Amino acid sequence: MRNLIAFFKRFQIFLVFVLLQIVALSAYIQYSEFARLQVFSSASSINGSLYQVRNSVTQHFNLEGTNRKLEWENARLREKLKGSNYKIDRELIQIEDTNYHQQYLYMAASVINNTYDKRNNYMTIDIGKNHGIQKGWGVISSKGVVGIVHLVGDSYSVVKTILSKNINVDVSMRDGGAFGLLKWDGINPKICQIAGISNDISIKKFTKVITRGGSGIYPKGIPVGVITKRKSIEGKPLWDLQVRIAEDFRSIQHVYVIKNVMLDELRELEGRIPPDKEEEEL
Amino acid sequence: MNIFVLNSIRFVLFVLFQVLILNNLEPGLGLYAMIYPLFILMLPFQMGTVPLMLVSFVFGLIIDSFSNTFGLHASSAVIMAFFRPIIFKWLSPRDGYDSVEAVNVYSMGGRWFLYSYGTLLLIHHTWFFSIESFKLNEFVWILLKIGLSVPSSFLLSLLVQFIFISNKKAVR
Repeated sequence: MRNLIAFFKRFQIFLVFVLLQIVALSAYIQYSEFARLQVFSSASSINGSLYQVRNSVTQHFNLEGTNRKLEWENARLREKLKGSNYKIDRELIQIEDTNYHQQYLYMAASVINNTYDKRNNYMTIDIGKNHGIQKGWGVISSKGVVGIVHLVGDSYSVVKTILSKNINVDVSMRDGGAFGLLKWDGINPKICQIAGISNDISIKKFTKVITRGGSGIYPKGIPVGVITKRKSIEGKPLWDLQVRIAEDFRSIQHVYVIKNVMLDELRELEGRIPPDKEEEEL
Repeated sequence: MNIFVLNSIRFVLFVLFQVLILNNLEPGLGLYAMIYPLFILMLPFQMGTVPLMLVSFVFGLIIDSFSNTFGLHASSAVIMAFFRPIIFKWLSPRDGYDSVEAVNVYSMGGRWFLYSYGTLLLIHHTWFFSIESFKLNEFVWILLKIGLSVPSSFLLSLLVQFIFISNKKAVR
């Protein structure tokens, strides 16, 4: 026993060092599993309100650009109003309620903090649990896909943007329909990659990339970006595709959070698919 | 001024400077200037390694909570605090550190500061960027990040000391 105490005294510094490293690194590696760690993020109310104060100062610097963007979006939405359409087929069924159920609901939010230069980039928005936000909902902007809600606080939430490791958004080509997963290699905040498209599918440069709507997080057809470079990976039958993403994360200010009304049904249905038994047979 | 009050004020100011200003400067190429290691360097000489690591851990955790990194800064701060006494011992002047009151570029001299802070920054940044990316195939990219961030953090720390610390002692 005395030897043990002597041992602890002798290596006290190193033991404290190892202990603190274990705490810090395990928090970093598996933070998403500890719900309590959300207190230590910008979703917590103290940090959120500090960022809100900063945002209320800095948001005015970009007012001109923001206004132009909103004007452009207003114009686009106005074009979709019933009043600005000319009806060609007079026999079309009028009552939309019975044929069309609302599937996606949108909620506007302001970005109060975001990064684009780290390996995993997050964005803090000013709505949270009090507004009914839940983890896993999609986030888009007027230009394109932004990310997925990652942590939810009472009145703020943290969004994991597509500029992150393992974000894996379901995307497909607008022409052709080949689909793959969106990834980011951490180098250029304007360029993302698409993985998993077989290289016998012909894909042209400047093909528009849209969301596939497969996972139920985003509706189908939200713009993602444009293919800028196409190479084949050596030794694998796959394309290495570079995508210039539509959203500019350096100047993003307003986003929309998407709720899919039928998400639970989709998840429940897909959960019933039996898991692969292939490994056991082999 | 009481040394405890002085360091508490520094604590708050370094957190605010890092979180509200430096975390938003993203000039590209992975350059990420960090000022908060200077706080750990400037803690008093008399502190033992264990309290030093505990203070650094809490300090890093607060920076983490603002930048959504969940322990990355805390881990890097603790590793820097762990190496601080080792580097100081290695570079200790002939008559020891007894007569020195504060750690800064004026009291210790530019050469000492360059060696000690430079080494500690290199350890801190290497740890930070390697753990952040945690992939061997991004090796060159990590090296680029370290190579750009260390000099910029170092220059920034020099600048902060030139602006905020009076060098009455050096003049006298």
